Amino acid sequence: MKNYLFKKSWVFALAVFALIALAACSSEESSGDTEGGEEPDTITAWAWDPNFNIAALEIAKESYEGDAEIDVIENAQDDIVQKLNTGLSSGTMKGMPNIVLIEDQRAQSFLKSYPDAFYPIDEYMNPDDFASYKLAPTSYDGKQYGLPFDTGVMGLYFRTDYFEEAGYTMEDLKNITWDEYIEIGKDVKEKTGKDMLTLDPNDLGLVRAMIQSAGSWYVKEDGETLNIEGNEQLKKALQTYKEMMETDFVKPNSDWSQYVAAFNSGDVATVPTGNWITASVMAEESQAGKWAVAPIPRLDTEGAVNASNLGGSSFYVLDIPGKEKAAEFLGQTFGGSNEFYQELVTDVGAIGTYTPATEGEAYQKESEFFSGQQLISDFSTWTEEIPNVDYGTHTYAIEDILVAEMQNYLNGKELDQVLADAQAQAEAQLK
Amino acid sequence: MIQKRMKDFFQNNRLFMKMFLVMVISIITVSVLITFSTIRMSNNLFMETFSITNTKVLNQIKQQFESYSYSVAYTTMNVQDNGTIKRLLNKEDLNSLEEYKTYYAITEQMERIYSDSPDQTNMIVLGKNGRLFNMRYNYWPVTADELLHHPITDRLNEKPNQILYQYIPSSDITHGRNMIVASKALTERSTGDVYGYVFIPIHERDVQAIYEGFTNDGNSVVIMNGDGDVVSSNQKQWIGERAPNLLAAASREASGPVKYEDVTALDKEYMMMAESLPALDMYIVNLIDQEVVIDNLIDTKELVLISVGIVILAVGVVFIISRRMTQSLSRLVGQISNMAKHDFRKPVDESGGYEARELGAAFNYMLNELQDHVDILLKTQRQARKSELEALQHQINPHFLYNTLTSVKFMVKDGKKEAAFDTIDALIPLLQNALGNVDETITVEQEAANIDHYILINQMRYGDRIKVSTLISPDCLHYHLPKLVIQPFLENAFFHAFTEKKRGYIQILIAQRENRLVCEVVDTGDGMRVDTFNEKKEKRNLFSGIGIRNVHDRIQLLFGEEYGVEISSELKKGTKVKIILPLIEENPKNRTISKDNTNLGKS
Repeated sequence: MKNYLFKKSWVFALAVFALIALAACSSEESSGDTEGGEEPDTITAWAWDPNFNIAALEIAKESYEGDAEIDVIENAQDDIVQKLNTGLSSGTMKGMPNIVLIEDQRAQSFLKSYPDAFYPIDEYMNPDDFASYKLAPTSYDGKQYGLPFDTGVMGLYFRTDYFEEAGYTMEDLKNITWDEYIEIGKDVKEKTGKDMLTLDPNDLGLVRAMIQSAGSWYVKEDGETLNIEGNEQLKKALQTYKEMMETDFVKPNSDWSQYVAAFNSGDVATVPTGNWITASVMAEESQAGKWAVAPIPRLDTEGAVNASNLGGSSFYVLDIPGKEKAAEFLGQTFGGSNEFYQELVTDVGAIGTYTPATEGEAYQKESEFFSGQQLISDFSTWTEEIPNVDYGTHTYAIEDILVAEMQNYLNGKELDQVLADAQAQAEAQLK
Repeated sequence: MIQKRMKDFFQNNRLFMKMFLVMVISIITVSVLITFSTIRMSNNLFMETFSITNTKVLNQIKQQFESYSYSVAYTTMNVQDNGTIKRLLNKEDLNSLEEYKTYYAITEQMERIYSDSPDQTNMIVLGKNGRLFNMRYNYWPVTADELLHHPITDRLNEKPNQILYQYIPSSDITHGRNMIVASKALTERSTGDVYGYVFIPIHERDVQAIYEGFTNDGNSVVIMNGDGDVVSSNQKQWIGERAPNLLAAASREASGPVKYEDVTALDKEYMMMAESLPALDMYIVNLIDQEVVIDNLIDTKELVLISVGIVILAVGVVFIISRRMTQSLSRLVGQISNMAKHDFRKPVDESGGYEARELGAAFNYMLNELQDHVDILLKTQRQARKSELEALQHQINPHFLYNTLTSVKFMVKDGKKEAAFDTIDALIPLLQNALGNVDETITVEQEAANIDHYILINQMRYGDRIKVSTLISPDCLHYHLPKLVIQPFLENAFFHAFTEKKRGYIQILIAQRENRLVCEVVDTGDGMRVDTFNEKKEKRNLFSGIGIRNVHDRIQLLFGEEYGVEISSELKKGTKVKIILPLIEENPKNRTISKDNTNLGKS
């Protein structure tokens, strides 16, 4: 009897084993990914410039001590803008990154169009630690959304050798107006045969820089009301722009490589632009010691200062799972680490807008390439002078209109009419 | 020890082992065959459907490439026909303002054309004067100098009227990316002079996007140009390789009907299907690594696991069933082979399966029948022997009787009345004893008396030249022994031992030794060679006619092989006969019969 029982249980065990074996064979992993809700282990971040903001993120990633894994992905800026627009407007956040870098002058249009898509990060940072002009474009509706990254503080990069040849020194370029710049430019062209600067007809960055130096913008202080027609500063800026063309010292370009090539090849004598160009200038090592940076000329109007802003961007956290980790990462690196900024300025040459960092040692360093100039320190000083303007949401839309109208102006159209037409077009398009 | 046990086990389970082995081998063979044929069949079926699907897929990819090449053609045509671009590219020596306006105008024109151009690509217009307009600078940051001196531009100068799809392998100029550049020279219609070029570059990565969705491991798509260079593939390691084999196969394949063909290319064997893209001077090649594809599709591991599971299950069931069947049979066999140990009297167990039970019953029936038969046989045999003995017994040698009676007559004649009387007195019990039942036993005491009578008669007749002494242990007197056991040897000693010597002694000893009754007849006569003994004894049975051999046989028949007669003899010294018998208290008839049976059974 016992034996029989044993046999029975043995058969049973065998059957059970066989069942399990078969079941194990046929059942694939049925547990799929649980959509949303769960905290991902990896935080993704999008940026566009491997020499600059990508490199900065990599440094932040290394210095970050939290447990999150940071995955930095390079995308062209246009692609980022396009992907964000498609993704956010469709409402599905699938494939969106946790952290995205957005240019300051574009930021408001995103914040305004998709306020729910972004995650406020007030709790993770102290806005007072940053340059005040960065706060308007990065906040919306009283909440801080962007963590300010680099400053777009401008400088007038110039070839000391050319200017010396023409009989000018650094002192002659300090605190000048654009009108004075044109006068000097004429002289330089005459004496050296070099063009003064290179411009892309489709990019009115210089015009923007001019009006900001005078505290004005395409829109009024509320960020909404158009400020084109009758904008004296803008009018003066366009006049100056046309005058430069007519003076015949402008070398046109149609893309970034032509832009960089223009000064790397020694074709132009000055580069009036944001400090982020430093790395590209330094890329041409044969020109070491032949460059210096003067404050940007100011518009010849009342209240204008020798400081302005071009470019500059900030990090934003999207309201998707992982947002807390992402915000914490930004807060602990870009938002509050002095050492991180010293490393950033030393390794990448990126000047942040985090004011406590300016006291640091790295900011006082002299640059060999720029003939021993305390470049970072100078830029930091100018940063504090940048007039604060509200860029509003339509900067690039308005600029597209202005670019076309600019052609009309260059072809002889009356300036007041140009501005009036631009205003009318913008009103029709944006309202 | 273990070895022995194993051996025993195999011995006892031979049937089971055989059956089980055969079953296991059959099950495994069947499973393996079915598994393999399943895999083969599904492979064939799969490859068939696969090739149908892939033909469609290939056509679809081809259509996409055609629509791409169409839009490329449309775009280049637009650039070629655009008067503004032509005019501005031909202009030289402009001042800043004019140049600035030119740049704007060209960009505006290109913007318009580009908005129709294929997605994910770029458009670059390059003037011979070194003016370069790049619609998506990020996509291919290239300078005018680099482009003007690149071989792709040289080729455009050679064939100014053709749209060339040129492959630029990963290098500095492409920033480490593989690119396919659709390109055309812009020519003056009237003179045919080249004034510029239009380039529509596309990253290999973006080309891949066209067909990537259709590919998977082992099912690869290769786009190759007319030189045999792999310009795009989902298999990254192939990109940039030159595969003339594949090109030859592809051009052959693309000209005929679309079907799979085996080809060895890119270091491996593949199934190949190809379509040509004449407008691009390219081929779309679909390469199937059959092994990988089928590995992915058919989970051989799973199939084999299922088969193994089934085999284990079946073997288990077979094990149990055959074990049950054979176990009862084996038990039966064991019982049958041990039958002899139990006198063939113990019936086998009628248990286990139907067959085993039937077999056991039949066997038991046969056993019973056999036993009955043997019983009858034994009975007959015993009867036959008994009558034989009786017949022998009745043959008391008339010569002995005659001699004795003659002696008595002379005794009476001589007036030896006493001696005659004694002789007759001794003869009477001797005859009485001889005539009685041969099966009966008598006590040692009675036998001693018989012996005394016999000696007396002989001594009356022949005098006392042969002296006989009888020595009987008193503790043996009550034991029984068969009749006529000692007498034949005594007779033998009297009549044959003293032919030469004439005088001597005969000694009879009866004693109990080691639980046996031992009777010895020792004479001091002539002695003999033992081997001659057998021949002599049969003929000269003077008194009882019962041969010595007969005595030995009878004892063994009655009591077993350990008992019997031993004779040792030495020439000139004498003979010693030793009769070994069991100690029998009385005359238990039944017991002797049962002993008989056993002995018979054994022989």
